[in-house]
Amino acid sequence: MLSTAPLNVGRRRVFGSVFSPASLEARPPFASSFNHDQTPFASFQSNGSSSTVETGSQATALSPGQQEPPADGEGWDRAWSAATAFLSVPNRGFAPIYESRETDGSEILKDWNRLSPPSKETGEALAYLTAAAQNTRPSPGATEPTDLFSWYGDEIRRHFLMNLRGGLYELLRTSENGSLLRTIVDCLQLARRIYLAPIVHWLLPLLPTADQGRVLTQLQRGFHTVVSYSLPWSEISKILAEELAQESLVILGIDTLFEESNSDESSQDGMDVDRQYSVSYEEWKQETTEAQAHMMTEGEQENVTMARDRLLAFLNGLQLVGLGGDKAQKVFAGVMNIMMTEFVRAAYTGKWETPTTATQHLRHWIENVFARLAVQVLAIIHTPSLGNQASGALDVSFGDVEKWQEMGIARLGALRTSELFDVIVEWPASSGAVEDLRHFTTHPAARAYVTQSFIAILNQRLLHPGASTVEILQLYISIIRAFHLLDPKGVLLDRIARPIRRYLRDRDDTVKVIVSGLLAEPHAADKQALPSSGDTLVELSTELAKAHQLSLQSNTSELDWDDMNWVPDPVDAAPDYRKSKSSDVIDSLISLFESKETFVKELQALLGDRLLQKREDFDQEMSVLELLKVRFGDSALQACEVMLKDISDSRRVDSSVRKDQGLSKPPARMHSKRPAQVQIPQLHAKILSRFFWPEIQDQEFKVPDEIAYLQHRYSTGFESLKSSRKLTWRNGLGQVTVELELGDRSFIDEVSTWQATVIYAFQSDQDDATKTISDLASELNMAAVLVRSACLFWVSKRILTEVHRDTFRVLEYLPTEDEQQGGAEAGSGVEGPGSPSADTANAAAAAEAAAAEAAKETAEAAAMEKMNLYWQFIVGMLTNQGAMPLQRIVMMLKIVVPGGFPFSNEELREFLAGMVSKRKLEIVSGGNYKLVH
Amino acid sequence: MDYTMEDTQNSALDALEASKLNTSGQRNETQSVTKRLQAELMQLMIQPSPGISAFPDADGNLLSWTATITGPTETPYEGLNLKLTFAFPNNYPYSAPTVLFKTPIYHPNVDFSGRICLDILKDKWSAVYNVQSVLLSLQSLLGEPNNASPLNAQAAELWDSDQEEFKRHVLARHRDLDDD
Repeated sequence: MLSTAPLNVGRRRVFGSVFSPASLEARPPFASSFNHDQTPFASFQSNGSSSTVETGSQATALSPGQQEPPADGEGWDRAWSAATAFLSVPNRGFAPIYESRETDGSEILKDWNRLSPPSKETGEALAYLTAAAQNTRPSPGATEPTDLFSWYGDEIRRHFLMNLRGGLYELLRTSENGSLLRTIVDCLQLARRIYLAPIVHWLLPLLPTADQGRVLTQLQRGFHTVVSYSLPWSEISKILAEELAQESLVILGIDTLFEESNSDESSQDGMDVDRQYSVSYEEWKQETTEAQAHMMTEGEQENVTMARDRLLAFLNGLQLVGLGGDKAQKVFAGVMNIMMTEFVRAAYTGKWETPTTATQHLRHWIENVFARLAVQVLAIIHTPSLGNQASGALDVSFGDVEKWQEMGIARLGALRTSELFDVIVEWPASSGAVEDLRHFTTHPAARAYVTQSFIAILNQRLLHPGASTVEILQLYISIIRAFHLLDPKGVLLDRIARPIRRYLRDRDDTVKVIVSGLLAEPHAADKQALPSSGDTLVELSTELAKAHQLSLQSNTSELDWDDMNWVPDPVDAAPDYRKSKSSDVIDSLISLFESKETFVKELQALLGDRLLQKREDFDQEMSVLELLKVRFGDSALQACEVMLKDISDSRRVDSSVRKDQGLSKPPARMHSKRPAQVQIPQLHAKILSRFFWPEIQDQEFKVPDEIAYLQHRYSTGFESLKSSRKLTWRNGLGQVTVELELGDRSFIDEVSTWQATVIYAFQSDQDDATKTISDLASELNMAAVLVRSACLFWVSKRILTEVHRDTFRVLEYLPTEDEQQGGAEAGSGVEGPGSPSADTANAAAAAEAAAAEAAKETAEAAAMEKMNLYWQFIVGMLTNQGAMPLQRIVMMLKIVVPGGFPFSNEELREFLAGMVSKRKLEIVSGGNYKLVH
Repeated sequence: MDYTMEDTQNSALDALEASKLNTSGQRNETQSVTKRLQAELMQLMIQPSPGISAFPDADGNLLSWTATITGPTETPYEGLNLKLTFAFPNNYPYSAPTVLFKTPIYHPNVDFSGRICLDILKDKWSAVYNVQSVLLSLQSLLGEPNNASPLNAQAAELWDSDQEEFKRHVLARHRDLDDD
């Protein structure tokens, strides 16, 4: 009989599924007489007011009988209609509430007839009905809700659904502005007041105090239910999260951190404002311990306080209108979770200084700022079921705070882990970050996380062909040091180092870089700002000296019974984890390779190069060798020692031989009135024990007769000194000081022997003699490439000029520019360079290229020499194992060739192709190589 | 076929890795064996002896090799390629390797499953022997069988009585394993 015309059928079904249809529709019969659902505002107003008066008078008549049970249905009905008319909420839609949401609401309350005291009659009717409700007697109508409060609950629900729901829905859907939720909450709060005001003011006092709370809670719960039913929580939670995030960013101080990092240096002037309250890590660190304790608890800034008040007030409202509770708590928890990450990121990213107090700072912040907000918020949006919440009981226990602190530390650890690569690049300026990480890596899961993510970063950023070996080694050294600090037992390092070491082993030049680093001048390192800037790891040589001193101090062995600091291996150590002096950089690098032999061999080669240089002393090499002997043992480095001894011995031998043979005349400077009286050049020799020296690439050629004569005399002298020995001259090695007197200039420089020999060949002839490369090659018995290289060298020095291709002439007089042009045209084989300087540059480049080519050729020859050995391996392999594909051959070679197989697949393929064309191999099905019998 | 090959390759790499890392006592022992074998291989490569050849198998741990002996001239085995397997114990060279003929061979001192009766592979083994010396001994054994202690009595008999018939048996039994 109630007309629900405004509600369409579909909606009704929805309601019906949530609220029992009875509660909506089974209205007291009287209500229908008012028919307010369909009455237009104006008419209802008049209608309602008049009937109020009327029924009120009727109620008066009843009042004497109110003590009695409402047996007389008539009287009870009248009282009922008077009371419901008084309490019913006018249907004015959503608009008035929306408009007056900003006011204190008294006007609208008045306007809606929510504050005016009931007339006497109505009051009595209310009292009558309340008393009736108290008696809780079933009314004659039996099933109908005779309780006035239940009726009012229904009334609230009805009114809300009819008037407010649509409006709120619209609001939620259409508006996008940030304070949407506030608006909604304001509206709801107003609505709540409208609904509850008459109850609180007029009805409750009629009840016994014990019941007041119960009734009110019941009504409120009804209101909350309908509110949360009407508003889709998924959307509410979204905007609630935004709202919370916005405020808590301010309250937790994260916004200031962002500002700080954005305007880092520029706003330095503003910093002298005495900001007592700050969550900034930078500022915190500079304070004394005492000040630190107060920094976050006192002197809160105004905007923070305001934000806090705003948020708390807002949440209060939220809670009041039924949008609080555990659902809001969940949203809040989500927001706080994000906030913690944000804070950690904003506060500590890139702050790697040592000593670090980041963890203390974070704990402090969580305890005093984060937890404080959590306590305040949770006190408001508590779960309604805990309605009897005592004010003293906190929702947040101390254990919770500790848990949060742990979470914060974990977040910090995650941040540091993600930064770890950069941290290590910056090492050692960034050791603070590693100290932070130490607080995080306290349990195996965290340690595993650190290693795994770091290895992933390494693979991505370091272990790729784009990184030079020096860089990788440099970083590896930093990693060793950093991880030693992080985990002194070296288990983490052990895990991290594996992929790096594996990768380094595959690099061809690893040994070379390490050895050259060891032999580098440490003094040079002091001068250079960046030790790693060059292509040598100068740091290694310093490290070598340093590590040696350390190893003298501490002799740590496994069986040191007096070691009071002993701890067992961590549980997550790998099964084959070997305790090592992991901080020992040199040791880690040397142990990269299975055997010391590769290392020693490389050391020999490099040492050989250096010892053959013309230098005053070789102290550096000697000290390095001594230090390395400590590590490798004397026997491994015997050859190197012999090499050094050779050099020092040969100095002595040299002087005595020269004295014996009368070679050391008073310094005979070549004041050559050439070619008439060339004085005898001085010859010094280094005598090497060939057996102990590495293979030296040598170019064979004929030295000038004078030199050969000197060599002969020198040999004689040497053989008389050391009777059982014989000298073999290595003509390709050594330096010659050349003085050239040309028509208009003279030239002095130190050049290599073959370069000197070539220019000497020009000297012996008449002026402006031209020589071709083939002539020179046969005359000097020198490889044509080498001759060409030497000639181009002299061209670059502007001593020779190339008149035709491969034909050279001494440039007795430097040409003027015109002549240059003319000469260029005359020598048609040569392209005319634009200017002399360009000419020189070109020539120099050409000379370099030629020298490189010559070097390459000799290197290739040496490589072919080696290839012959590999060929034996390949023959052996194919003989015994049958035909094999290239891949497998390469793999086997890598395994069985001592020191590894230095060639790539392509190089080997080329070599094998050569063998195929020589009919030593054939390719059978499946690309397998097979020996031809 | 391809899969198995890939497998062996992988395991070879692992073994390589393991030998490089060289971290436990067990491996240390293997290590010294590996080293010795590597040295022997190097020697074989640098100074190859005519008619014999040996190379590690592709499994990568160097403990099993395949060797090839070309039958010496003026013996019934002339021109035949005979394959053998070497299996080295972990304490090599203090124990002898196990050497077997893979190629079916008709010989007084070799039985039909390829087992060899040669004193230096049994009680006369000494650490100074190596792959090369074993192969050289076997090579000479082909030309001069030790008929005093035959594993193949018929062959021993035939060797003394009828060289032609012996050679026929040799060729009948021989089967090239080259392209399996």
